[in-house]
Amino acid sequence: MLATRMRLKLEEWIDAFGKVVKFGSEVVVDIFGGRVMTFFGETLRQAGVLIIGSAVVIWTLMFFVGLQCGIEGAYFTRSLGAPAYAGVFTAWCDLREIAPYAFGYMMCAKVGTGIVAEIGSMRINDEIDALEVMGIDSVLFLASTRLLAAWLVLPFLYIAGVGGAFFASYLAVVQQIGDVSSGSYSLIFWLFQNPPDLLFSLIKAMAMATFIVIIACYYGYHVTGGPVGVGTATAKSMVANIVVVHLVGMMGTVFFWGANPRAPIGG
Amino acid sequence: MSYATRAYEGVREFLVEIGEMVILAGQTIMSAIRPPYPYGGEFVQQFLFALKLCWFPLIVSTVALGYGAPGLQAANFATLFGSIDRLGGFFVLASIREFAPFVTAVVMAGVAGTAITADLGARKIRDELDALAVLGVDAIKNLVVPRFFALMILTGLFDIFALMLGVSGGVIATLVNGAPLGPFWATFFTNASVTDLWGSIVKTTIFGAIIAIVCCYKGMNAQGGAEGVGRAVNQAVVIAFIGVFAFNYVFTQTLLATNPEITAIR
Repeated sequence: MLATRMRLKLEEWIDAFGKVVKFGSEVVVDIFGGRVMTFFGETLRQAGVLIIGSAVVIWTLMFFVGLQCGIEGAYFTRSLGAPAYAGVFTAWCDLREIAPYAFGYMMCAKVGTGIVAEIGSMRINDEIDALEVMGIDSVLFLASTRLLAAWLVLPFLYIAGVGGAFFASYLAVVQQIGDVSSGSYSLIFWLFQNPPDLLFSLIKAMAMATFIVIIACYYGYHVTGGPVGVGTATAKSMVANIVVVHLVGMMGTVFFWGANPRAPIGG
Repeated sequence: MSYATRAYEGVREFLVEIGEMVILAGQTIMSAIRPPYPYGGEFVQQFLFALKLCWFPLIVSTVALGYGAPGLQAANFATLFGSIDRLGGFFVLASIREFAPFVTAVVMAGVAGTAITADLGARKIRDELDALAVLGVDAIKNLVVPRFFALMILTGLFDIFALMLGVSGGVIATLVNGAPLGPFWATFFTNASVTDLWGSIVKTTIFGAIIAIVCCYKGMNAQGGAEGVGRAVNQAVVIAFIGVFAFNYVFTQTLLATNPEITAIR
């Protein structure tokens, strides 16, 4: 009995996975094929919505995790007897791991669920059918514009957020705990990172963002079951998005830093 | 309206909402203590519901994060110094104190919390909550209290599984680096302290309480038809994340500052 149920569940997941991939490839092809340029105005509007609605919340979360990295790093290196090296901990913790994860979490929570709620209620109110009747490609108009808007805005938003996390770590290590002077903290902090690291971190975050937007659009576009269905679909999209964020985070680490620690020490 | 007025209105609305959540938390605790206690069945149901939803995302998330963030990065760093045996000690700090609690919180808020908000929001916009009030059923006692306890206890328990799975991510990272496991466990158990463990579990239990209150509040105050429930879920998960991470900072800070012996490397 359990085996049958598990097989059914597995089939359901594989089915959903295939549908998301198909939907996502349609959305991406629309962007790279240039069809999305028909609605470039809508894309810019979505970009504006992202900046005004989500930027501050994402930065707030990244700031908090920056503080967190800072105090952990300060106490950890103090216990090793080398508080001046807190910068190693915070540089790697912020840039390589925690900033992408915090960004991914907030993208799921704020942008992902927002998209599901918005597109889902359009589906429930038959607005998507109305778009089709008017001869507008609804996937193009609703999903591709949002993904392109995310690609336009999020790199800048993410790098600003990383800056916020760096600043928070500095505050926690130098101003709050105060075991290390500002100068020697900065020396070690900047020594243990370089521009390719920032690029890799950005790629990781953008991969997360891309999957989140596609999955959210998929769940919103396929809402059924009235007003309650919108809420259920929003909750379901979070499950998929959280799993995807962690998998992308792990794969990114394995891929970019797995074989090569990229540290300015050792042989 | 000028910008100043709009900003003022926004801040005021936010503060009112926080205040109402605190009031709801107080009402929930009072209502839980005062007899009668009719919430046993609902508690079991909610507990199983959240357990069924969360176990799979929790396993994937904790193993992936444990292997990637503290596992590979720290193993790389330790390998440069030829001291990969120290990875176990690092996992006490990384997994028990930080990653396990916050991954548990993210999964619980994102999976169980959103489901609770969607469920209560649906009842609200179908006027079922008003119907309950007309029937003389106390919504807080019968709906919020069981969810509050279920989420609190489950988050605390899940933390233990998150610890084990997060550490198993570290085990995988050690094996990938071709190092023996004996030194990993040796440094892990010499550095692990009881204070770390209870700190971690108390922290996640309070995370569970924050998530439950925020999600129940947002669900019970959903309004505006089809869009309303979706918007309530969206706001609930954002507020829960910010609340949890802000509380995490304060708690870790207090724990580390008041228990200096746990930060010593042995």
